Amino acid sequence: MSSAAAQQDGSPALAVEELVAGYGGVIALDGVSISAGTAAITAVLGANGAGKTTLLRAISGLIKPRRGRVLLGGADMAGRSPEQIVRAGIAHVPEGQGVIPELTVEENLRVGMMSWPGPLSRASGSRPSRAERAAALDEAYGRFRPLADRRRKLAATLSGGERQMLVIARALLARPRVLLLDEPSLGLAPRVMAQVMDLVVRLSREQGITIILVEQNARSALAIADHGVVLNLGRVVASADAATLATDVALRHHYLGF
Amino acid sequence: MPVVEFLQFTLSGVSFGMIYAAVALSLVLIWRGTRLLNYAQGGMAMFTTYVAIEVIYHTHSYWAGFVVALAAGIVLGAVCQLTVIRPTMNKPPLNAVIVTIGLLIFLEGLAGILFGGEPRSFPAAFSITGLRIGTTPIGVSRFDVFVVAAVLLTTLALAVAFKYTSAGLRMRAAAFNATIARLSGIRVARVLTVGWALAGLLGALAGVLVSPSTFLDPNSMDTIFVFGFTAAVIGGLDSPAGAVVGGLLLGIALSYVGGYLGAKGSNLTSLVAFGILVLVLMVRPDGLFSTTQVRRV
Repeated sequence: MSSAAAQQDGSPALAVEELVAGYGGVIALDGVSISAGTAAITAVLGANGAGKTTLLRAISGLIKPRRGRVLLGGADMAGRSPEQIVRAGIAHVPEGQGVIPELTVEENLRVGMMSWPGPLSRASGSRPSRAERAAALDEAYGRFRPLADRRRKLAATLSGGERQMLVIARALLARPRVLLLDEPSLGLAPRVMAQVMDLVVRLSREQGITIILVEQNARSALAIADHGVVLNLGRVVASADAATLATDVALRHHYLGF
Repeated sequence: MPVVEFLQFTLSGVSFGMIYAAVALSLVLIWRGTRLLNYAQGGMAMFTTYVAIEVIYHTHSYWAGFVVALAAGIVLGAVCQLTVIRPTMNKPPLNAVIVTIGLLIFLEGLAGILFGGEPRSFPAAFSITGLRIGTTPIGVSRFDVFVVAAVLLTTLALAVAFKYTSAGLRMRAAAFNATIARLSGIRVARVLTVGWALAGLLGALAGVLVSPSTFLDPNSMDTIFVFGFTAAVIGGLDSPAGAVVGGLLLGIALSYVGGYLGAKGSNLTSLVAFGILVLVLMVRPDGLFSTTQVRRV
């Protein structure tokens, strides 16, 4: 199920080339290359400690890569700050505790628009108006109905599924071209998890957003992905169509545990 | 009359308590953003108060000195953060703590060199003669009323800005979760500089408000810093509202000690404040009003 929009202009939306990154003396990514087609879902799989989360953190700038490139539409993001990278069009939904529980639902969503050009921005032509911001919020509430009813409530009062909704909604308000999702189904009930996966598919098919999906649950990730990459100890050990990976018995047995 | 006396001590305590509240708030602002206790806060307030004295001396205008002190507080806070605090970010937390202590020693030394070590008196904006209802003194002066109003107004203005402006939301988001804030495009480093500037403003305000009662010398704000810190801890270092309540409670408590125990009591206030600090840390280390865990002390 490769997306028709993918590879339209021949170049991937996001290309990671020979990325090396780590923490202190530990090398967590050792020359990782992946290529994500426009509007495609790329599942990044592997056991705990394989480097999946580090890969997303290196792409979004939370850790500085030691070597390698992160190309977004041809521009190298490696070495830029997270603040710059989200402005360039890559939004990162980190694992777990992604909501700010001390803020209300609406405040959490407004944080999602902080990457928009502000009143002090030099690019005066592109400054969004108050109405534009309100419209973007309304759009988010339209898509995520349960959030609309709870907009004035503290995010701490939300259920696990609603929290995941909120962090994805917040990331979408940054209007990303590429969305990095780290274990969006973690800790969710199966029914809620299916809803989140549905949402991920719709974001890619309907909004044309390129998605990098890190998942512990390889089976459900491959079920919705176009492409899959398997990491082990910081290296890519397999990269293929999701359908091909899902049927590779040896690979599943060795690295994916299903 | 015991009732009148009690009222006098209470009201006088409220006035001092608001000053401690201002110092406490300045500490809370920085703590919330960086989990750092700024030991130089008192030194910064001392320095800006000297600036105010010089301006008042040369212009003969209290208000010129007042405004310049507040502006100097903003600038000093931002400059300190940009020059010596920012390089300690992403380093072991103790580095920043030691830098703030170094900053305190530096500012006190510099003030001694520039302004001399002699205690100097600082004018009050309004009369410090006690107000009376009928013939009964109520223990507060016009200046005390000004102190309470100035801190209250500043606090309310900050609270409204934090709650209702985009810049305020940025600061809260950065304080609660710096990672999410950065991933959302908030320039957290810049937000922290603004936090230090606002803390500098509050410290400067406390300095000019307290100095008419204490005289000013390079070390005169040390005690006020300890009182402000105690107030912040009482309220829970994370809570701006707690800082104000903590300041008021401490101010009133110390006023009773000083008032009822006479001259002996005045010498005891620092000790009592210290005792309260230890007690709160033992019984409610998160502060009396805190709901969240203090992550690092």
